Formats: sequence, structure tokens, C-alpha cells
Amino acid sequence: MEDRPCALLLKFPGTNCDAETARALEAVGFVTEVLPVSALKPEKLVGVSLVVLSGGFSYGDYVMSGRIASLVTEQKIGETLKDFRDNGGYLLGICNGFQILTQLDLLPAGSLVENASGRFQCQWVKLKNLAPKSPFLSQCPAEFELPIAHAEGRLVTKEAAEAAGYVKSGAAALVYGDDVNGSFERIAGLQDESGRVFGLMPHPERFMKARDHYDPDWEGQGEGDWGSGYWIFKSLYQAIKEGEV
Amino acid sequence: MREIYEISDRFIEAGDANGLLYEPLAGGLTYRRTRRYELDYEGDQASMEAFVKKTLLDEISQELHAGEDAALEGYSFALEYGMKPGALDLEKEAILSYYRGIPSPGFELKDLRIRQRIYLFGGKGDESGRFVRDLCNAAIHQWNVLPGHV
Repeated sequence: MEDRPCALLLKFPGTNCDAETARALEAVGFVTEVLPVSALKPEKLVGVSLVVLSGGFSYGDYVMSGRIASLVTEQKIGETLKDFRDNGGYLLGICNGFQILTQLDLLPAGSLVENASGRFQCQWVKLKNLAPKSPFLSQCPAEFELPIAHAEGRLVTKEAAEAAGYVKSGAAALVYGDDVNGSFERIAGLQDESGRVFGLMPHPERFMKARDHYDPDWEGQGEGDWGSGYWIFKSLYQAIKEGEV
Repeated sequence: MREIYEISDRFIEAGDANGLLYEPLAGGLTYRRTRRYELDYEGDQASMEAFVKKTLLDEISQELHAGEDAALEGYSFALEYGMKPGALDLEKEAILSYYRGIPSPGFELKDLRIRQRIYLFGGKGDESGRFVRDLCNAAIHQWNVLPGHV
């Protein structure tokens, strides 16, 4: 019998990071199924430990990024993702997946809007890990780098004080080292109160090996020649395995 | 019945309008962008408004303006454009597809027209020709220019 935890990766029309995200999940030990949203039903989550929403431009980012995908998901499975979380399941949203999770109200209230630059930004960024006990970040160092690639990655809240509150409460698990896109409090990633839902704008799946780094002399992190992104997936795998015991 | 809604962003500052053009203009024009939805419907107005707020509006980062009046003021001119009737409008199709999946919407959506509005601020008068040339495609778009509201 398969004893590796199962990850379900939802694919919407316009999702374009599913293949590399599935490879990253498999690399740390997950069994991964990529599921088109057209085939999504509540029973598809049975036996699944982790639901992943990967990057891309779901439904062409029409109306606003993540909006149509969140509406279609809700239409197809209602509150199933919230029940999944409440029953111990984990959810990870990367880039467009983060945008979808915010639209589904699975993360603290916030919206990801157009970058302050008004442009699509594709670059490497420095990140600070503010939640070293998070199941998603427990094996990541205090500071590391990942690439971003987004036009709508600026996290805003209705009032600026809310974002400051997220930093104090620990909901802002990941922040940029520099003001990259105008995000309030430089927030790059949010977690919910349970700690089992996490969304981030940077792409961990694009930095799995040291060779993915822009500096050819970058030596890797931890054992092996893994990149920083690997340790996010590995943290999660470890948390799920320990939870099974 | 017909209702018009225009949605503007709360957090996006006016940007350099030269970013919209192939060649820069002198004069320091800036712009803001909004989306305008015209809905023809029959049935319960409250249900239709609830649909608009849930589907088209982000209450955290956007503001909803109902009616014909422009959402913004103080502009030199504005360019409004959208897909021609009969041309494939994928945003419209995505919204209609979601609407058709709602079991009891409480209203019947007869038609939906989506327009982008670009409000231009500053500059030396009506320089709309350059923007029409660089942003609109006569093969698929319809457009009109709104005079200034300063």
C-alpha cells in the first residue's frame, strides 16, 4: 500500500506551472495528481493530505486575477476546501494560487492587485521567514531568495493597519527584504490561523536545485545541492508525515 | 432593464500614459483605468446587484459606481473601448459561463457589454488620436472618446 502522502494539484484553464509544481512535490516525496477543475468533485479530496493551487493566469485573469477560478471552485465544491482544512488538510497557493486562496476567503482578508510599478515583474527577490514554526517554512532559513513573476502581486488590505496586524499576529509568514511591488508591509506570503493554509507570490518550484540560481557559484542550501524552494516543499512533507504518526 | 456599473481601483495611482503608447508624448499625461459593465436583465434587481458585487467587484481594493456618470473626475479626456458585437469576448464568456452555472440566480441576464475606460489627466488638450491608434484594433474593437471633465 502506498504510504506517501497524496497531493492534489488543481488545474484551471490558464494554469501554467502545474507540471513543475507536480515535479517539485514528487521530488520531496508526495504522490501527486494533477486534476482539471472540470473533474473536481468533493469526493476527489478523500485520502488527500494537500491541495495545491499553482501559478499561471487562470481564466486569463479576467475580472481580476483569481476571481473566476475562485467562483468556479466554489460553484463546483462549495465549502469543501474549508471542511478539508478544518479536518486537518493542508492548502498551498503559489502566485495565481495565492490570489485564488485570498478570493476563496481561506486566508486573512487581503487582495493582490497590480504592482506599484504598473508592470509585470520577473526577478529574484530576497525573503524573510517570519514564521519559522510554520509547517511550510520550518526547514527554511531566516532569509533566502526565490524568483517572482507577476503583474498583480501587491498585497493590500482595506485599511493599512490590517496588514500591520498580520505582521504582529504572524499571519504574514513571509515578507520581501526590499519593497518589490508595493505590498503593504512588504508581505510576500500569508498563512491562516490554523497554519495549514499558506499562499505566497514567489515561485518555490522554480528554485529546486542550486543550478536554478542566477549565480552559478551559489553553493546550495543544506544537504545536497537543493535550492531554497525545495525546503518549502520538504517542510510541508515533513509536517504531514509527522502528523500521520 | 439596464444597469451600468463602473469599477475603479482604490490603491492604483495614476500611471505615466506614455507606458500605453509606442512612442512617448511630451506633456506629462497620466492615466487611470476602470472597467465598465452594462447589464441588460429581467427579474429581481437585488439579486442582480448581489451577482455584480460577488462576481465583478473586489470590495477590498475596488469601488463600485452605479449609473451613467463617469467614475472619475478631473480628466482631460477618456477613451472607452471594448469588443465589437460578434467578436469573441473571453471575459464576457467566462462571466456568462459562471452565471449559467448558478442554480437560481433570481434574475435573467439578457446581455452583458464590457468596456475598458482609460482616463487621461494633464497634457495639452485632446491627444486621443494617439491612444486610439495604439490601443484600439479596428478589426475587433469599438471605441469612443469622452470629452474632458475638469
